[in-house]
Amino acid sequence: MKDILWLIQNTLSVTFRKKKNIVMYLCMPLVGIIIALLAYGGNQGTTLNVGIVNHDNSEITTDTIQFLEGLDNVEISKIAAKDMKDKMTSGKLDTVITFEKGYSDSVLKGQPDHIQLTSIKGAAITGYVKSYLYQFIDNLSTISRAADGNEQTFKQLYSAYQQKDFKLGTHSLENAARSKNMTNQTIGFLIMIMMLSAANMSEIILLEKENRTYFRLLSTPINARKYLLANVIVNMIIMTMQVLITLTVMKTIFHIGLNVSFVDAFFVMLLFSFIAVGLSLLMIAFSNSRSAASALQNLIITPTVMLSGCYWPVEVMPKGLQKIADFLPQRWALDTLTQLQEGQSFSSLYLNYAILFAFAAAFFLIAVYKFSRNNSTQNFV
Amino acid sequence: MNVLEIKNLTKKFGDFIAVDNMSLTVAEGEIFGFLGANGAGKSTTINMIAGLLRSNDGTISILGKNNAKQSRFAKMNIGMVPQDIAIYEDMTAYENVKFFAGLYGLRGAELNERVVEALEFVGLQDKHKSYPKSFSGGMKRRLNIACAIAHRPKLIIMDEPTVGIDPQSRNYILTSVRKLNEMGCTIIYTSHYMEEVEEICSKIAIIDHGKIIAEGTKEQLKSIITNTKDVWIEVKTTEKVNLAAIQDINGVEAVSVDENFIKINSDTGVNNLNKILEHFMNSHIEIRSLQEKAPNLETVFLTLTGRNLRDQ
Repeated sequence: MKDILWLIQNTLSVTFRKKKNIVMYLCMPLVGIIIALLAYGGNQGTTLNVGIVNHDNSEITTDTIQFLEGLDNVEISKIAAKDMKDKMTSGKLDTVITFEKGYSDSVLKGQPDHIQLTSIKGAAITGYVKSYLYQFIDNLSTISRAADGNEQTFKQLYSAYQQKDFKLGTHSLENAARSKNMTNQTIGFLIMIMMLSAANMSEIILLEKENRTYFRLLSTPINARKYLLANVIVNMIIMTMQVLITLTVMKTIFHIGLNVSFVDAFFVMLLFSFIAVGLSLLMIAFSNSRSAASALQNLIITPTVMLSGCYWPVEVMPKGLQKIADFLPQRWALDTLTQLQEGQSFSSLYLNYAILFAFAAAFFLIAVYKFSRNNSTQNFV
Repeated sequence: MNVLEIKNLTKKFGDFIAVDNMSLTVAEGEIFGFLGANGAGKSTTINMIAGLLRSNDGTISILGKNNAKQSRFAKMNIGMVPQDIAIYEDMTAYENVKFFAGLYGLRGAELNERVVEALEFVGLQDKHKSYPKSFSGGMKRRLNIACAIAHRPKLIIMDEPTVGIDPQSRNYILTSVRKLNEMGCTIIYTSHYMEEVEEICSKIAIIDHGKIIAEGTKEQLKSIITNTKDVWIEVKTTEKVNLAAIQDINGVEAVSVDENFIKINSDTGVNNLNKILEHFMNSHIEIRSLQEKAPNLETVFLTLTGRNLRDQ
């Protein structure tokens, strides 16, 4: 064990003394967060341009307009009826609210009418304004009904309503869909970086064979099994650091909601680390030079990462490709995280964990078998 | 006491027999030379001694213990200087030696002391903070040696340690080999340079086609061919020389070309010098000098294997 620790310590020390390795192994996973922020971070704060055509000019109409002006992300501009069409078709206005003559009276009667909402952008735009506006008008109607048509009583109740010291506590709720997208994007990128890092670290074996240090090592009390184990442990240490750094930075610096507990996400990604290391060893076992290994990595990592939904949601791909994705470990890692995000309990996903573990075990076993068949200096002497 | 004992060692690669039923002993304190052309089986034998290859048959014992059964003990007592320079370019000279020495279980002050000692031994103490990429070929070879000796092995295997280096570095390495031997190390030394082997080895084995065809001290080996002499004829150009025709002359045992010299090993009982010279005159080959020499190790090798070691 002492000699394995010696190998691990030396490999880590040599690896992290190079700045490019620090960037590659520890900073690159964070690029995923930046990409996710660029892709999804701009979704908030879109301003809705609302035009007001006022034919009523009553106190209630003025109050309604003031209410609309007070809404977040709504820009109110008063326009003439004749400009309505031009401003909407040119895109200057998203929607126009027309207060027709009699709006105020209809509200006072408790039967709101004479108000029109016009938009060429559909319910996606009008829905937001509608929900707030209707709530306000409903309140006024309720007061009116309570006054039973008595204008004096209405004014008193309305005045009391306006002056009532309502305390509206506001809490910003996270947009779950947005943070899920960002998490998936970041984890997808992290998966790709983990696979590339694992491949790079395993490639050290081929590098050592090519520059003969591997054979010198085997002439010391180190044997091939210990050497391989040390490489796997170093690889796992780096993977673990990548996962920890990425999840921590996501959560504490960028405040991206994982929608799953930190420990659960860490466990799933740790399981994936074994897959990444197993696959990288498999590729090395089937390569007899670093150039062959690089070619194999390009052939395997990039396409499978794309197919499994690390770059974009797998649902946007044709059904046939989605079926292929079901055979990829990256897909299962992402699926496990998605299910956890959707509220599945950690323990209910044992099948997912078993599948992820089976992928890792299969890769390791095939790699070790192939290594044992290669365990001759003849290939490299 | 025997540091190394090889009994009936055989290694096959498919149908090719690289080492064929080889038996050999190396006693403590010897500098044992392995001579053989490329493909003769030297490296395969060395790789099996160092534990890099498994044999198909036979046993190897290091200090009396079977190295297949007690490989850790064997490896702890062997220092391997591989033919190819096997050091890390991204580690300093000090770090390289420290890393390899650490694999033998050395730690702390003892490790540091041994690393400094090894670097001083090969004359790289002033360069201990330098990276090998700034080293000359000779310095890299010396670092290659330092990495193999810091753990003070009983048996040091040096596989072509002087390939491709300047004469000064070569002399340094040869002196180091002698010094290591004086310090009590047993050394197995392979080289293509016959004069090196002749100069430093106390015992020599000549290997051909996986078998030891001759073994003993250099005097014992030379005595194998006491009935022959060497005639070295220096010519202006070797282009017109017909080696087969010279070989056919009565009494000629072996012929080889070394730069502008035609080296002829001939039976001392046959007076054939006139016929040899006649061949050169008839072929209009200009002779520059002619020397008669006592046989050296190269002649022995040539006579026994029919091959010139350096031309392989």
